[in-house]
Amino acid sequence: MSTENGERVPAWIGQYLRDHLLLVVIVAMFVAYPFLYGFLTNQFGIAAAMILPETRTMLTIMALGLFAMSFDFVSGYTGYLSFGHAAFFGIGAYFVVMGFNGQVPLVPAELPFMVLLVLGGLVAAVAALLIGLISFRLSGVYFAMITLGISEVLYVVSNNWDYITPGSSDPSDGVAAGAPSDVGFFEPVIGIPFVDPLNAMVGPFGDETLLGFDFGDPQIVSYFLIGAVVLLCYLAMKRIIHSPFGKVMIAVRENEERARAIGYNTFRYKMGAFMISAFFGAIAGGLLVAYVGTIDPQNSFFFLVTGFALVAAIIGGLGTLAGPFFGYIFLEGVQEFLAREGGGGGLQPFLEQTLPGGVLELNLGGLTVNEALNSFMTGHGEFYAGIIFVLFVLYIPIGLLGTLRQRLGTESVAKYISRRVTARFDSAESQPAD
Amino acid sequence: MIDLAAPLVIGDIADLLTSPGEMSRIVIEGLAKGSLYLMISAGLTLIFGLMDVINFAHGAFTMYGAYIAGAALLGLGVGSMGFLGSMGSIFVVMLFVFLLLAALGVVFEVALIRKLYEYPPIFMILLTFGFAITLEELMRMVVEFGDINNGQWQIDWATPRIESVPTELASTTEIGFLSFSGLQLLQIAFGVLTFVGIWAFLNRTRYGLFVRAGVEDEEMAKALGININRTFTAVFAVGSGLAGIAGVMLALDPLWAVNVPLALAVLLPAFVIVIVGGLGSFTGTAVASLLVGMIDALGTWAFQTGVITFTDLDQLMIFGILVVMLILRPRGLFGVEGQGDHG
Repeated sequence: MSTENGERVPAWIGQYLRDHLLLVVIVAMFVAYPFLYGFLTNQFGIAAAMILPETRTMLTIMALGLFAMSFDFVSGYTGYLSFGHAAFFGIGAYFVVMGFNGQVPLVPAELPFMVLLVLGGLVAAVAALLIGLISFRLSGVYFAMITLGISEVLYVVSNNWDYITPGSSDPSDGVAAGAPSDVGFFEPVIGIPFVDPLNAMVGPFGDETLLGFDFGDPQIVSYFLIGAVVLLCYLAMKRIIHSPFGKVMIAVRENEERARAIGYNTFRYKMGAFMISAFFGAIAGGLLVAYVGTIDPQNSFFFLVTGFALVAAIIGGLGTLAGPFFGYIFLEGVQEFLAREGGGGGLQPFLEQTLPGGVLELNLGGLTVNEALNSFMTGHGEFYAGIIFVLFVLYIPIGLLGTLRQRLGTESVAKYISRRVTARFDSAESQPAD
Repeated sequence: MIDLAAPLVIGDIADLLTSPGEMSRIVIEGLAKGSLYLMISAGLTLIFGLMDVINFAHGAFTMYGAYIAGAALLGLGVGSMGFLGSMGSIFVVMLFVFLLLAALGVVFEVALIRKLYEYPPIFMILLTFGFAITLEELMRMVVEFGDINNGQWQIDWATPRIESVPTELASTTEIGFLSFSGLQLLQIAFGVLTFVGIWAFLNRTRYGLFVRAGVEDEEMAKALGININRTFTAVFAVGSGLAGIAGVMLALDPLWAVNVPLALAVLLPAFVIVIVGGLGSFTGTAVASLLVGMIDALGTWAFQTGVITFTDLDQLMIFGILVVMLILRPRGLFGVEGQGDHG
């Protein structure tokens, strides 16, 4: 499609886009989502809001989806279950907040967000090096447990260390960027440095314009910017996995002894993979902070943060990289639908509106149906997530994307689809319609 | 950096070493805590030793035990029974909880776990983890829905403890320079009972023989006509029941909180103990429980005297032990090469 005007657009871009047709389509869908959400909820009201997460929720999903991918990067590809992965998420998040507040030694306060984000990733990579030096002496269950142990130590420290919160407040309540009075407001700008039109501020009071377009809503701008970072991270991780380095990671998973026997220093590869995944895990943590500007131990260092990344990875497919991201969307969608976790719609308000009053007032042993719906379908997302997870482990252990790949008999769904589409076009060109 | 040490450290430690009363108090507290830890982790190590299943739902089982015990103690009106009556009812409640959770364990094993024996061990972790999340959330629903403890699932359900634990247990007895509370005595007694009971089960009963044979060589045991599947189910039942009993003991102790987060609060130290002791070794678990109990007691002392001012010190130390142990002896104290390596 671009071979004719090859002087202006290099030919490989066209080839690349054709090879990654599915990726392009999915990215386009994500770009369209905020507008689509507004349109559909206007059009169909509560029925649409019941299933679709709000743009605000999508911001969290993006960050945690990236975290699930980074978890999959090491756990799914090298086979070493990084059960304390939340440590890196927390390091990234806390580094952004504390670095901005000027609490990190050698880091001046009020650094730009992008710098903090990358620095936090590097700090997490160094932390992964230290943790890995201890942990990679072990394997299997022991590896999972020692990483869990280290992340729990960090959790306890973040819960109690009053250096984190300079005022009198309890560190377990979390800390906000820009909290001390001598530090300015937290204004996280994401974009290409020094190119003014390509930068915008993220946050509830952030910019409303991006690339010259006025979206009229800072949420949408934040969504695009955070989404862009997530996309970039995904492409980077994918590139690494498809490189010779990534092939050795898979070899470690399949048979570490044989990989060593061939002559690979598997320790270095495992460590490299662990550090890379820590880097991206920390980026995810930083992105979570970008919009809300605060972080607390419960949402960063806590064991269940890793737990949910694991759940997402299994639902999406362990060792598929993109799978955990969609797994997280699926998981969040289910929680939204059955438990209103995202604060948006959900099944309960839908039923409350649509069921006739007689049914709602029906008495079930001291409780009306309405009250029962209220208690069981609000805020208990983990219950449904747990059941779905168990069902996946039992019946679809290779996950959604893994199953799709198996059904199509291909290693990459994107390649399969682009091959099919090109084949269709080629045949259409060679044999004009009769 | 962290404001850990106050200036009085050396004087405080000297005080401790020269005071037999203080020393013995810490040792008794350590024994009591160690006994509790042993009860928490006994079921976990039993299940892991035979089945290679790391049961993430173990903490949830303990939490269920604690809640059921609380409900039973309140329901029976144990508070107004006098010392012997209430102790008797506590034992009855324990037996009841044991049977109930053993039944839950059997259902869990037969319905879910059995399907995954052919899979890599990591799938067991995943399955039990999912089951644990579901169980915890279910209890949250029950607490909120049934208005237990005013629907507060995060806050300690102290009413059953306050109303039904006899005052004799809470009061302190002093003999010479020894001072201990009745509760500590009860905990130590149960710790010893758990140890002796499981040791006898493994070494003196026919079923224990099957279990040990299964650990040693599953294929061979099957070939010799041992019904390994039934043995697995029985061990899982006993392990789950023990988790429940531990829950009852925790419900009696004011240092532990009966709430939904109890599941995690139990699970993590239990893991540490099982790993520090060496996966699959019951003796190792017992030794590690005592070790963790003693260190916990020392930490509590250090905190009380103000040597260290860090609130969640005990948790920090427990995981510190794990990290140090895995660096020094990757297989744990009594661990066997090869166990738990895969997956």
